[in-house]
Amino acid sequence: MMDKNTKTLAETVWTRLDRKAGAIIELTARQLRHRISTWVVLGVGVALMALLLLFYVDSVRQSFEPIDNDGDSVDEDNDGYPLGQERKYGTSDFDASDYPGSGVYIPEDEIDWNDNVRSFSGNKSWNGVAFFEYEWIDYTYSGDWWDDIVDWEGELSQCPDGRVFIDWNPRYGEACIVDEDEYFIYGKWKGNGKATVPEEWELRWGYYSQSFDVVPDPPEMYIDEDDIDCFDVDGDRVDCPSGTRLGGSHGFDNDGDCLRDGYQFSENYDFIFDYNYYQFEDDRNGNGIRCDVYWYVDADGNEVMGISADDNVDEDPNDERYVGELSHRTFIIGVGKMAFIILLGLFIPLFLSLGLVRDETENGTLHFLLSKPIHRGEFILYRLLGYLLIVASYVIILALIVGLITATLGPGDQLFRFSDLPVWLGIGISTSFVLAAYGSLFNTMGLISPKYGVYFCIIFGIWEFTMGTFSIINPNWTVSSISITHWALQMIDAIVLMAWPDTLQWAEIGEAFNIETGLSFFWHPPVHTLGTQSPGVALLVSTVVLSLVSLSMIGVGQSVFSKREIM
Amino acid sequence: MTIQNQPIPTVLLDKVSKLYGQVIGINEVSLAIDGGVTGILGANGAGKSTLFKLLMGRLKPTQGSVRLFGINPWSNTAPYRRIGYVSESERLYDWMTALDFVTTLARLHGMTRDEARDRSEHVLNFVGLDDVMHKEVGKYSKGMRQRVKIAHALVHDPDLIVLDEPLHGCDPIARTSIMSVIRELGNQGKTVLVSSHILQEIERITEQIVILHNGKLLAIGNLHAIRDLLDNHPHRILIKCENPRTLAAQFIERDPVYGVRFPNEGELEIQTNNLSKAHSILPSIILHSDQKISSIENPDDNLESLLGYLIGDANDG
Repeated sequence: MMDKNTKTLAETVWTRLDRKAGAIIELTARQLRHRISTWVVLGVGVALMALLLLFYVDSVRQSFEPIDNDGDSVDEDNDGYPLGQERKYGTSDFDASDYPGSGVYIPEDEIDWNDNVRSFSGNKSWNGVAFFEYEWIDYTYSGDWWDDIVDWEGELSQCPDGRVFIDWNPRYGEACIVDEDEYFIYGKWKGNGKATVPEEWELRWGYYSQSFDVVPDPPEMYIDEDDIDCFDVDGDRVDCPSGTRLGGSHGFDNDGDCLRDGYQFSENYDFIFDYNYYQFEDDRNGNGIRCDVYWYVDADGNEVMGISADDNVDEDPNDERYVGELSHRTFIIGVGKMAFIILLGLFIPLFLSLGLVRDETENGTLHFLLSKPIHRGEFILYRLLGYLLIVASYVIILALIVGLITATLGPGDQLFRFSDLPVWLGIGISTSFVLAAYGSLFNTMGLISPKYGVYFCIIFGIWEFTMGTFSIINPNWTVSSISITHWALQMIDAIVLMAWPDTLQWAEIGEAFNIETGLSFFWHPPVHTLGTQSPGVALLVSTVVLSLVSLSMIGVGQSVFSKREIM
Repeated sequence: MTIQNQPIPTVLLDKVSKLYGQVIGINEVSLAIDGGVTGILGANGAGKSTLFKLLMGRLKPTQGSVRLFGINPWSNTAPYRRIGYVSESERLYDWMTALDFVTTLARLHGMTRDEARDRSEHVLNFVGLDDVMHKEVGKYSKGMRQRVKIAHALVHDPDLIVLDEPLHGCDPIARTSIMSVIRELGNQGKTVLVSSHILQEIERITEQIVILHNGKLLAIGNLHAIRDLLDNHPHRILIKCENPRTLAAQFIERDPVYGVRFPNEGELEIQTNNLSKAHSILPSIILHSDQKISSIENPDDNLESLLGYLIGDANDG
């Protein structure tokens, strides 16, 4: 008896409510299924995803190919040695006569502008201004690009008419024919003879060290040749970014263009061309260690704040690994934000939720539903739940299907990227929240003004689209948080960081090593963490905001509809 | 104490007015209806639908109070547990079968899926749709659609059933079957309100009528009593026959007939001031005339004449 009473009570309160809800939800879902516009909108969504997947598959094939990130596989001066090899030897890639093994200039002596003895004889390499009585001159030692040296003071007279040595000009200079066996030369030249330096001019001389044979490296050697190296506490090499020891000195100059073991140092280096020599710093990050990469971390040591590399260290990373991983994540985040949140999130409700209650009123079918013992407010709520049942399962399933495909095709050693699935699921759920918020807003607008509600919704949609775009670029901008999209994008930022905690590191790697994949454009650390820096808090805050928007909009719709007279 | 002991009428309107801006929908209508079938008669725009929408809580009265089972139906769903409403709206969910449609709506009464299905099959049988209940409503004729609407209103076995023009647009067979359904409901002791603008329709369903005109309550009571009043006023009977003139000769001598006319070829119009008496002598005259009669019509036996009479009467009084 007691049992029966309890059962009856439960029957009257909860199950009846549940049955009504079930009936309206089911009716709404079936109704949507019987509408062409539903299939058109959802079909367009599928087509959009298929298109994006095509791009993805294409980029899987292309951009994961090795890229010469530091450009050192080129041979600018066509001397047979790629830039990377020239860097190691300190030779110029703009000067074909300066190549690995070509020998370096060793200076011996000079005649200064105020020296008393103003002439010197010998077989030398000369540099300066002199009357040269020659026995032998190396006419092949000749300027490539410049015919004249710069005459700053205007004191160097040009050669007198008809005296220009047109068949030969020294490097960075010019020669005038003075006599049968005497030239006036300024610039660089090689020759055996007696040089007499005019007053107030100077001349230096010396010789080239013995040249030696260096076998040119194939250019392919300088692609992906300096990968990003990370080390754990024991100094063992680990995959970057490493969880075991993030901060401190990492990096290894695999290709030797920072360490420069074969470097031929010379005092009188050709400063015009060797920008490498003068601007090069093998301890740019100033941590006292030559040719390393320093990773700055936060106080906890679990978040990378910045990466600073010495020059030419880890500058040509393994693209399959880094570009692949970064573009993969960028694709997922970009698709999640642009395609799911902004496009599907806006267009699905615009087509499917605006008329949820309004159309029933216009068709007159509302009379059947409202002649039943169901409160109008309840009716709106169940209607929206029915709509949400269809569209939320649609976006979640769509996200998971795209996720399955990209997780199978994506980069990495594993066959299937399981860690992607929580992100895709999160994208589906975030989009569902957006669909709920817009759905209840648009439905309410359709109720408030059956005639003009749609125009408001379109204007509102433009606002949301704009704010969404701004939120992607800079989520810190306060104004953009007056939009539904902003909070859904925050949800994705938070979910990404929760599912892939090393995304922050990856974004830093992308920035620091110039791996341009757009990750730091599409993804930013979540903003609304209430000062905790915790993605979980940001997720919670965003979820609460979106739920409040949905509920308050449903509430407004309910109060409008409850007081409405229905003709 | 006395108030509590008095039974609460099923439908109670107390000086109810409804204005649509400046336009009057219903003007100071007071009514108490309880048990049996009541016909709500009125021309288009008389206020029938406004009255029903006030009852169904769709509209809020501008003045006065509406009570169903003693409860105000405006923003209160409680009375709908005991009410079935057939609106004038023609649209249904065409993609649903009748059984689906009625079952879905039955579930809104808190029935389980199985209960709802059983009840729906039952009421669809009751309205005569047993053979076609698994067909989509979109393929139904107008009469079948009306019956689906009635079925949904009956699915929870309500005490009050409100039918807004249930015979509108139906073919004669559907009309007859719907009428018998309504009569049956009245016989079961339920309170049934049926609106119509056709006098003969209501006449075949019930004797108890309410006549609305321009939003006002014009008459309430037994239809026959009202008709008897009407009978004593000038009336016409239109007979279509082969030779109107010979037939006219037979009539011109008889008592309630005071004139004849020949409006068209093959037509005879008899003018009388006592319709029932005129009808009582009609068979013997026709029998003796040996003429083929193609039709007998009472052009004045309609709502317009009744209204004209009642309004004229009211104006005279």
